[in-house]
Amino acid sequence: MTRKLLTGNSAAAWGARLAGVDYVPAFPITPQTEIIEDLSLWIDSGEMAARMVTLESEHSMITAAGSAATSGVRVFTATSSQGLLYGMEMVYTVAGWRAPFVMINVSRGLSSPITLESDHNDIMAARDSGFLQIHCASCQEITDSVLMAYRLAEHKDVRLPAIVNQDGFYLSFTREPVDLPDAEKAARFVGVFDPENLQFKSGAPLSQAMAVLGGGPYSYFRYEAHLALQRVLSVYDEIADEFADIFGRRYDIIESYKMDDAEYVFVMMGSYATKARDAVDSLCNAGWKVGLARVRVFRPFPKEKIRQLLSGRRAVAVIDQNLSMGMGGVLHSELATALYGMKDGPAVLASYIGGLGGRDISQQEFFEMIDELKQASDIGQILEPRLLYTKNELTEIRNLQAIAQAEHSEIHNK
Amino acid sequence: MKTASRILGSAFFMAGYEVQDAPRYGAERRGAPLFAYVRADKSPVNERGIISHPDLVVVSDDTLLGMPAAGVLQGVDQHNVLLINSHEQAETWVHRLNTAATVLILPAREDVEDRAELPYIGSSCAAASAALTGVISRKIFAEALGEELKHLGEKVVSENLEIALSAFDAMSSHSGLVKESALPSATDYQKPDWIELPFDDAEISAPAIHAGVTSVQVRTGLWRTMRPVINYERCSGCWWVCSTYCPDGAINVTSEGLPDIDYDHCKGCLVCVAQCPPQAIESIPEHIAKENEASGVSA
Amino acid sequence: MIKESVVHIHRMKDMPSSHLLGTGTPMCAGCGGLEALHNMYDILGEKTVFVNAAGCLTLLSVYPFTPFRGGWLYTSMASAPAGAQGVRDAMDIRLQKKQITEEDNMEVVVVTGDGSAYGMGLSATSGAMDRNLDFIYLCYDNEGYGNTGQQYSAATPHAALTSTSKTSHGYPGFKKDLFAIWAAHNPTYVATIIGAEPLDLAKKIEKLRTMKGPRMLIALAPCPTGWDYDPKLSVEIGRLAVQTGVWPLKEYIDGEVIHTKIPKKDKSGKRTPVEEYLKLQGRFSHLFHPQRDERGIAEIQARIDAYWDKVSD
Repeated sequence: MTRKLLTGNSAAAWGARLAGVDYVPAFPITPQTEIIEDLSLWIDSGEMAARMVTLESEHSMITAAGSAATSGVRVFTATSSQGLLYGMEMVYTVAGWRAPFVMINVSRGLSSPITLESDHNDIMAARDSGFLQIHCASCQEITDSVLMAYRLAEHKDVRLPAIVNQDGFYLSFTREPVDLPDAEKAARFVGVFDPENLQFKSGAPLSQAMAVLGGGPYSYFRYEAHLALQRVLSVYDEIADEFADIFGRRYDIIESYKMDDAEYVFVMMGSYATKARDAVDSLCNAGWKVGLARVRVFRPFPKEKIRQLLSGRRAVAVIDQNLSMGMGGVLHSELATALYGMKDGPAVLASYIGGLGGRDISQQEFFEMIDELKQASDIGQILEPRLLYTKNELTEIRNLQAIAQAEHSEIHNK
Repeated sequence: MKTASRILGSAFFMAGYEVQDAPRYGAERRGAPLFAYVRADKSPVNERGIISHPDLVVVSDDTLLGMPAAGVLQGVDQHNVLLINSHEQAETWVHRLNTAATVLILPAREDVEDRAELPYIGSSCAAASAALTGVISRKIFAEALGEELKHLGEKVVSENLEIALSAFDAMSSHSGLVKESALPSATDYQKPDWIELPFDDAEISAPAIHAGVTSVQVRTGLWRTMRPVINYERCSGCWWVCSTYCPDGAINVTSEGLPDIDYDHCKGCLVCVAQCPPQAIESIPEHIAKENEASGVSA
Repeated sequence: MIKESVVHIHRMKDMPSSHLLGTGTPMCAGCGGLEALHNMYDILGEKTVFVNAAGCLTLLSVYPFTPFRGGWLYTSMASAPAGAQGVRDAMDIRLQKKQITEEDNMEVVVVTGDGSAYGMGLSATSGAMDRNLDFIYLCYDNEGYGNTGQQYSAATPHAALTSTSKTSHGYPGFKKDLFAIWAAHNPTYVATIIGAEPLDLAKKIEKLRTMKGPRMLIALAPCPTGWDYDPKLSVEIGRLAVQTGVWPLKEYIDGEVIHTKIPKKDKSGKRTPVEEYLKLQGRFSHLFHPQRDERGIAEIQARIDAYWDKVSD
């Protein structure tokens, strides 16, 4: 067991290396570039037996990833935000090909205005595509999730591509202790990619991804991909158990922290959830019964598990680091759908939106959320969604506006 | 057929009806079957898409009736009228299709060889349909035709009008044969037969074809309105010309070194006719070729 | 770069007599693109994986029907060359790892229309050539976005009527010189071909299959639907395109441009006038009806003459 300090990007590169990937189509984008730089160095120096090709755009990169997977090799690639969106046509397409591979997304806020810092709007845009989605909260989890993702994606009941998401900056450029899995054990866990009939061979005619006419046939292919994605929920535990046996770390579909007798629950995804663990500890010290449910597998959406976990709770605060314009937080919406009709569901399902563009969510903000939940559940009030923003932040933007809008002096008076 | 639906749609509209007309879209293809739909009602039309229970089906190319995949007869039963543009008799079709529908014939014009060249067919079909509904007057029909074809110029309009109105008049004795149907019953309906879609392995549920050359199962020969026929007495056996130039590769070479046209797939583009050096290939209307075949006459 | 050229086809009688590409595809009757493709497929054979971008020929394969004996992968309008990259690299990796043998090594062939090749797909094509991808690229050029109803594209010639250039003067732009753009990348091979000149086409295919690296082809594809003419004229129009000099048949190889066919001149030193080609097509009808547009026709002729003046015999 070798425990070393690694950034999230390094951890991701190690995941690809330990998974014995054959092919890495690449394109650089902040905050992902160290991943392909690490892989490039290893491949050039002979430490890693794989092939890397830089395509001229993410749209092409994702195409090449899918087409190589449909030609029978194990593929790894990585992107972020604008790059993910540039390739979005192909994100849907390759999932429809039923081409299994793993893509790291280093989440970063979307333009416009353009930013380099983290939030989840980019990865949310891929949620309908058919890709698996796993959200990591630590650098350790990134390496481990890449390995598990290959098993899930290549499972014969699934055969779909997977995105493993890590937060830009907070994980990608941040070093944390990572226990690197032993190379041989990792290779045995992941196994060899068996393309079955997913390969072009002379003498075995194969036409893939062709046009389809008629709503009936089209619906069949789309429904089946959906059913296959849902299969992940049934095959997951066996794979996670196996991983735990070999490497000593168990990852549930939803991480439960102090949930046993929690009355109030935070529901979150990604690395900010570890901040919530501290908040939970502080709140418990102060006498509250609070817990944290961190959704790790977002696609397929773990409806049953979420219902089980939130059954009998008093109030829930869903914290979304994303914003669906005109609607609100995506996780909140999906949770509401999942919980609808439950006899003993939480009376309060509050929505908090924060962390956009890397905006911090302070410990005090977590405490205040619980306070609001309590007040609301005491009087049976429905809480309106809150866009997390403080007085100081408003002052800050006004000061900036004063400079930007120097010609318009009314800003000074606000 | 899009023109026909537009003319009929306009005619209904001018006769005071709410209208919905549309062609069935696919990728643009010269020579492939086309469909169009017209719905007309006194109240606004709400239903959409393919008409599952048409009151009237008009077939301008009767070879489509031999193409089950074309779905021409879907929803056609004793309550419907089937109007076919054909050289053959109604009884022949009733028998051949084994249908309880009322079959009417719009006689195909004799003086034009290639039926794809019949520009008047859309207008005639629209006219015949209009007459059959019994709610569109001759005058209104003429107005509608003028409106829809005006962009083609006066001469085209008047030519079409003359031929279309004779089709209108020919159907007048059946005026009102096509009746409006009522809304489907919500108490006495055929259950939709929902199932839980079974989960299939990716091997079959991925959009992939694990076989070669399955396209030959599509008989594109049905597209043909003109048939190229090789006169082997003139053919000099320079087989590469017609066989090489056929865009679809539908001309094969026999073991004797002679060209052989695959009529299951020949679309009748007639490139071979145009290119044959000794001009040994002639073209004849497909329906005549079929008649010859049926009566045992060799081409 | 070129291995010893092994050309078997010297005369028309040497052309393959069996056709490998399946019939029954929904291409228009008289499709010039299909004509070029099937001639190419007869020579390249079934050890091929065709990677396709959105266009007319995407409909070659509509579930569950396919005319191919080897591989086919539809990608997207812009990224077929990137799809080819993935397939080629995967095969090379598997060959290296001895998961497959040389027997299973297939030629990767990109097939796109002009819409993709001259426009949206140019970036991916440039990238593929830049990476020296070992593949063949066939662009069937029907001079417009055919599959969507013949709207004008960067490949549309000046004055052509299209569904987005319907007024009496036709398309105001000029056809992009894709051959020159591709050649500027210095790939292994670039050539123009046409189904109406099958011997020239066959020789070029035979030649390029012995090479490695990017081998790029543009086939002018006379289109009855888009150019508005009776399908039976497809070959005649194709031949006239070559004869009048509208479609030069040429190659780019080892840094040089070589013309493989020079349009014949008559005793007075004139090539077949371009109007012989134009007048057969409805898309140029406005140059002749309701009256002759002498200036328009002369301009087109002048551009063609200017091109051939620069070409040495």
